Amino acid sequence: MAQALRVLEELKKNEVTHVIGLPDNSSVKLFELLKADRDIQLVSVTREGEAFAIAAGLWIGGKVPVVLIQNTGFCESGDGFRGTITRMRVPLVCLITYRGYAKMTRWRSEEPGAEPNAETLSRAQLDSAALITEATLAAWGLPFEFLHADVDIPKISDAFSQAESSEWPRALLVTCDLA
Amino acid sequence: MKDENEAVTSAKGKLPMLTKDEFLEPLARLRGDSVVVTCMGVTRPWGRRSHVELDFASADSAMGHTADLALGIALARPERKVICLNGDGSMLMTLGTLVTATQAAARNYYLFIIQNDTYEITGNLPIPGAGKVDFGVLARGAGFTSIYEFDHAASYTASLPAVLGGEGPVLVVAKVEPGTEGPISRSAKEASLYLKESLAEWARRMRRALNS
Repeated sequence: MAQALRVLEELKKNEVTHVIGLPDNSSVKLFELLKADRDIQLVSVTREGEAFAIAAGLWIGGKVPVVLIQNTGFCESGDGFRGTITRMRVPLVCLITYRGYAKMTRWRSEEPGAEPNAETLSRAQLDSAALITEATLAAWGLPFEFLHADVDIPKISDAFSQAESSEWPRALLVTCDLA
Repeated sequence: MKDENEAVTSAKGKLPMLTKDEFLEPLARLRGDSVVVTCMGVTRPWGRRSHVELDFASADSAMGHTADLALGIALARPERKVICLNGDGSMLMTLGTLVTATQAAARNYYLFIIQNDTYEITGNLPIPGAGKVDFGVLARGAGFTSIYEFDHAASYTASLPAVLGGEGPVLVVAKVEPGTEGPISRSAKEASLYLKESLAEWARRMRRALNS
């Protein structure tokens, strides 16, 4: 678990102006804080692909956006992400909550070496969203780090520095609830 | 507000529509220092009329994401009008953006949907719902309260100053004749200034222009 309030403070430390996204169970507390916040404008979208195009527009306009979505929504966003953020080389930081991470971690410890395939991707005890998340980020050229707990929150600032210096987006995969 | 001119079937039996020139010329004249974001079939025709860094071609970009990209610029620069010239097929790809736009309540956002009922860039095959889809109704259901529909050049030209002078978010459905624009590239060979550079280069150029 990580504290949503500390994540919000880290965003403010990096002068974030807008958070664009769609809430899920892990991020709902952070969304509540953002909705009440006076410094950062929350832009709620109907589908995650919109978030990347809006973020690109905000960046062109000189703002500092962050996209906050779930890994399922990231997969949905494919061309929206590719055609805006990477094609324009927007130094965007994304917070992507990692649905299915705990189940996947257990599975990996119980079945070392097992891989996503027809059987595991359709197994009821596993969440296929988790099994394809890291491979998808890698395939789409989005470097990432993990945010497992409070101790990892400073990685958000690291991501901003790296995104800015490389003119390329970075992601934090949030594997815990933001409480 | 509906176009008050009666729809009159032409001698050829086609529904009345504006030509691209009739649609774009008044916009080019009235845009002032507004940002103009284009896509698909109007990308080159607009680029032949306008050569400023406040134009943005959503080309070699994300198909269907022009309206949301323009919304982002509008939210970033509330002091400046943002005019988005979106295609009907493109709009159908992200209808949810109609809701996002009204919730964001961007007062400087002017979304034009160019309805020609075809995917012009890929050879004018019909869009889903061609001849049936009513973007004005969809927009009203999404929360737009300023909605205009035009299929005659005279009423469009006469009304445009008021349309652009009103408070956004504004939605305009313009019935425009399909053209024959082919696939759009970004290269020095393109005549339009905003297509001569890569998307990343032009995004930075516009960013500097908006923030200088």
